[in-house]
Amino acid sequence: MFRLNLKIAFRNLWKNRGYTLINIAGLSIGMAGCILIFLFISYQLSFDQQYKNKDRIYRVVSQAHYAGGEEEFDSAVPLPLADAMRNDFGMLENVAALESAWGVIKVKDATGNVKIKIKGRAFYVAPDFFKIFDYKWLHGNPEQALKEPNTVALSKETAERFFGDWHQAIGRTINFKNNKELKVTGVFADIPENNSNVINIAISYAGFEHKNQKRWGSISSDSECYILLKPGVTIADLERPKAAFLKKYYVEKTVAKPDHLFQPLKEIHIDERFSNFSGKVTSKSELFGLTAIGVLLLITACINFINLATAQAVGRSKEVGVRKVMGSGKQQLMIQFLTETMMLTLIALLLACAITEIALPGMSALFKEKITFNLLERPVIFLFMSGMVLFVGFLSGFYPAMVMSGFSPALAIKNKVNIGHGGGVLRKVLVVVQFAITIILVTGTLVILMQMKFIREKPLGFNSSAIALLSVPSDSLCKSKFEILKTRILNEPGVLTASFCNSAPAAESNMTSEFYYDGTAMQDFQANIKFIDQDYLKTFGLQLLAGRFLTKSDTIREYVVNETLLKKLKVVHPQDAIGKMIILSDHRARIVGVVKDFNNKSLKESISPILMTTRKDGYAALALKMEAHQIPAVMKNAEKIWNEYYPDQVYSSDFMDDKIRNYYESEQVTGALFKVFAIVIIFISFIGLFGLISFVATQRTKEMAIRKVLGASVFELVSMLNTTFIFLILLANLIAWPVAYIFIQKWLSGYAYRITLNIWPFAAAMFISLMITLITVSFRSYKAAKTNPVDALKYE
Amino acid sequence: MIQLQNIEKYYANKGLKSYILRHVSTTIQQGEFVSIMGPSGAGKSTLLNILGMLEEPTYGSYEFMGENVVSLNERKRIELYRNHIGFVFQAYHLIDEMTVAENIEAPLLYKKVGSAERKSRVAEMLDRFNMVAKKDLFPNQLSGGQQQLVGIARALAAQPLIILADEPTGNLQSAQALQIMDLFKKLNEEENITIIQVTHSEINAGYGTRILHLLDGVISEDIQVVV
Repeated sequence: MFRLNLKIAFRNLWKNRGYTLINIAGLSIGMAGCILIFLFISYQLSFDQQYKNKDRIYRVVSQAHYAGGEEEFDSAVPLPLADAMRNDFGMLENVAALESAWGVIKVKDATGNVKIKIKGRAFYVAPDFFKIFDYKWLHGNPEQALKEPNTVALSKETAERFFGDWHQAIGRTINFKNNKELKVTGVFADIPENNSNVINIAISYAGFEHKNQKRWGSISSDSECYILLKPGVTIADLERPKAAFLKKYYVEKTVAKPDHLFQPLKEIHIDERFSNFSGKVTSKSELFGLTAIGVLLLITACINFINLATAQAVGRSKEVGVRKVMGSGKQQLMIQFLTETMMLTLIALLLACAITEIALPGMSALFKEKITFNLLERPVIFLFMSGMVLFVGFLSGFYPAMVMSGFSPALAIKNKVNIGHGGGVLRKVLVVVQFAITIILVTGTLVILMQMKFIREKPLGFNSSAIALLSVPSDSLCKSKFEILKTRILNEPGVLTASFCNSAPAAESNMTSEFYYDGTAMQDFQANIKFIDQDYLKTFGLQLLAGRFLTKSDTIREYVVNETLLKKLKVVHPQDAIGKMIILSDHRARIVGVVKDFNNKSLKESISPILMTTRKDGYAALALKMEAHQIPAVMKNAEKIWNEYYPDQVYSSDFMDDKIRNYYESEQVTGALFKVFAIVIIFISFIGLFGLISFVATQRTKEMAIRKVLGASVFELVSMLNTTFIFLILLANLIAWPVAYIFIQKWLSGYAYRITLNIWPFAAAMFISLMITLITVSFRSYKAAKTNPVDALKYE
Repeated sequence: MIQLQNIEKYYANKGLKSYILRHVSTTIQQGEFVSIMGPSGAGKSTLLNILGMLEEPTYGSYEFMGENVVSLNERKRIELYRNHIGFVFQAYHLIDEMTVAENIEAPLLYKKVGSAERKSRVAEMLDRFNMVAKKDLFPNQLSGGQQQLVGIARALAAQPLIILADEPTGNLQSAQALQIMDLFKKLNEEENITIIQVTHSEINAGYGTRILHLLDGVISEDIQVVV
C-alpha cells in the first residue's frame, strides 16, 4: 500500500510537473535559507560548550550603577577579586583568574639566534583554571607545570609553530615582553575556534605582577575571573555572601556603586553587554532576528505549497471520489496526500542541501566564521533537517489533505466539488500574509541600506583620510625614543603631520575617568580621556571653538575639552570655560581650549564629554597624516625607521578609515543578510504567485472563452484577473506597513545618529510588490486570454 | 436484497420544494438485472446514488441486505463498498495515475486482501477481459470501450454482490456498448450478481430482467422483461 502510494505520488508530481517545480523551487530555497541560518545559530550556541563542567562554570563580571540611573557593564574584575572570592565563598569548588597580556614573544633556535619574533597574546593562568576548564594535556599536568613562576604551557599548534615538533618544546624557553624567560613545561591540545578564551600560551600566574594587584577601585579589561560552583549549588545561593562581600571590600567612596554578576558560561558568547578575549560576541537579538527570518522563509514557502495544493485539489476531486466508492477511508486518503507532500518536501530537502553547500563558503566569509555542513560530525543537523521536513510536510500538507479527503464522493465524481468559497478565501488570506512578510522584509532592507549609507557619509567631525596609526611600545626605554622617532618620520617626504596619542578621535575602546571641575564636587558623569600631543588638532583636522590648543609637554599641564563636556557642565559659552581648573586623579591643570564636537565612538552612540591633555606615559600610537598619493612609500619607510629604533619590538599599523569601517562590520553583515534574504523571499513569493495565477487562469479558461465570445477584449480579460490580485497586494501593504514601522523604529533607535524615517521605503516596497504582481499576473493571464475560445469550449 | 419504502428526495429553494423523487417504493431481489429508464431529469441518477449510498434520501427507508442504511455512518458504509457494492460510471472514472493493473488492484488494497491473492485476482481479471497485454498501460492509452472494461473489472475485483452502473455505455460506440451489455448479462446469469443500471437505451434495457420507468420522480411502470 505504502509503496503504491509512493508510486502514485510520484506519478502525480510528474503529471503536474510545472507546479511541482514551482513547489520544489520555493521550498528548497526556503529550506536552504533555514539550514544556513540553523548552521550559523548552532555554531554560535556551541561556543564554550565542550567542557565537562560547563553548567557549573560562571564568569564573574562587573556592573557599575550610577546615580543618574546609568549602568556600565564590564567583563573584567579588579585584580584582588579572585583571591577574595576563594576565601569568602564557601560554595565554590574553584576560583581562577585569567589575565590577558599582549607582548613581543621571541623564540630562539638551538644555536641561540632569534628565530621567531611576533606580537601575540598570552594568558597568565593559575593551575586552578584547568580544574575548572578540562583541557586535554598532551604533556605534563597543570598542577606541576604551572606551579612555579616563569613557566609556560603551550597549545600543540603553538608549540609546533615555535619548535617544529611539540615533543621538542618541553624544557625550551621563550622570551616574553623582552624581559621574561619562560620555560616550557607543558603542552595541551588545541582549543577549538568556538571558544571565548582561545588560550595558546598559558603562563604561570605565580609570576604575574601588577601595580594594581591590591587595588579594588581599578578594573582593567585584561583581568577576568571564572568560578566553578560545587555540585548542587545554584547561582541564587551566591547572592547573600555577595552582599557581604561587596560591603567588605568596596570601602572606597566612588561615584558609581560597584556590583558583580555571575555570567553562565553559555551566555558569554551571546551577551552583548560584555566583551570577551576572543572578541566574538553574537548578540541574542541578532540570533533572534535570524531565527525569525528563517521561520518567515519557511512560512512563505509553505504558503506557496498550500495555495497550489488546494488550487489543484479540484482537479483531483474525481480521484478522491473514485477512491471513496472503492472503499477508501478518509484516513487512507489523508495518508496518501501527506505521502505526496512528504515526498515533495524530501526532494526539496535534497536540493536545499545542495544549495546550502554552494552558499556556505559565501556565508562563512560574510560572518568570518568556520561554519561547516557535515552531517557525520554534527548529527544535530540531521535532527534539525528531519524536524524541518516533518514541520514543512505537515504544515503544508495537512490542510490540503484534509480538504481533499473530505470531498463528498457523489459530487467529487462529477467534478462538482465547491472549494471556491472556503479554499478561495484561505488562499487569499495566505497570499496576503505572504506578501505582507515580503513587504516587511523589503522595507526593512531598504531602511537598513539607507541607514548604512547615512552612516558612511555622515561627517564625523574630524578628518580620517590618509591617516595611519602606528602602534608604539609602552616601556620606558622605548618611550625615550619617541621624540627622535617622530622627528625622523616627519622628515620623510609625504608625511604632513604626526601626533602621539592613546587613541584616535573615534575609537572602539575609550578610557573614561571621573574628574572635578572648577572646585565643585566630583561630577556624576565620567569623561572620555584622551592623552595626545600638541599636533593632534592638526593631524585629525579638529576645529577649535575657543582658546588655544595644547602646548608641547610630557606631563599633564593643560586641558582641552569638547562642547559636550561643557553642555554637561551647563557652561553656555565656550569662552567661559577657559582658565577653569580641572582635577583628574590628582592632576590639577586649567582648561586652555574648547574644540568643536567630533564623534568619539561609532555613530550608534552619542558623543561623550571629552578631556584631552598631554601625557607621554599614556601614548600608545603615532598618528601619521600623509599625502594621499604617497601612502605606500611613506608606510614602507615609516616601518623601516620604526624597526631601527625598536629592534626588539614588532611593528603594526592600521589605517584610520579601515578602523572606522570596522565599527560597522556587524551592520554590514546585517545589511548583506537582509539583502540576500529579501531577494530570496521576493523570489519565493513571486514563483508562488506565478503558480497560483497559472492555476486560476487555467481554471477560468472556459469563463474567459465565454466572455470573449460575448465580446471582451484581451486587455479587459487581463485586467479582470489583475484586479483581484492587485487588491490583495494593496491589502498586504496596509497590513505590513505598521508592523514594518514598529520593527524599523526599534532597530533605528539603536543608533544615536539615524535617518528620519519617511514614506519612501514603504512606497518603494509597495511599488516593488505591485510591479511583481502586475508582471506575473499579466504575463500568465495574457496567454490565457489569447487562446481561441473554440479550443476552450469544445471540452464540454 | 434491496428494499425501498417511500423514498422522497427534494431540494428546498426559498421555501419552494422541487422534488426529484416521490414515493419511490420497490424491492429488488438478489440476482435481478434492473434497468432504470426515463427522460432527462426524471431522477434516475439520484435514485442510483441513493441506492449506492452516495446520497441520502430526504424521507423514506432503505434496507440493504436487511439492514437500514439511511444515514449509515461512514465506517459501515465503507465496509459495504469494500465488500458488496461495485460501481461502474459513464465516464469510467479510472484513476489516471494508475496503470490498468493497479486500477484493478486498488479496491483489493482497501479491502486488505493479501498480496498473493491480490496478484492472482488481478491476473484473473486481466485474463478474463483479455487485457493481459495492456496491464501496464495507463487509462488514457486505452479506447473508451477498453477503459469501461477496466472499470467493470475493477468493480468485479472485490467480488461484489451488486453492481451499480450509471449509463455504463453512454460514452461508447454501439458495438462496444453491446459488448459491455453482453458482459453484464453473463455476470448476472452465471455469477448471480445483481445489476442495477441507469440507461437511456431500450436495447440496453432489453438485456435486463426488469425495467423501472421513472417519470418526474415517480415510478410510472415496473416491467418484467420476458425473454
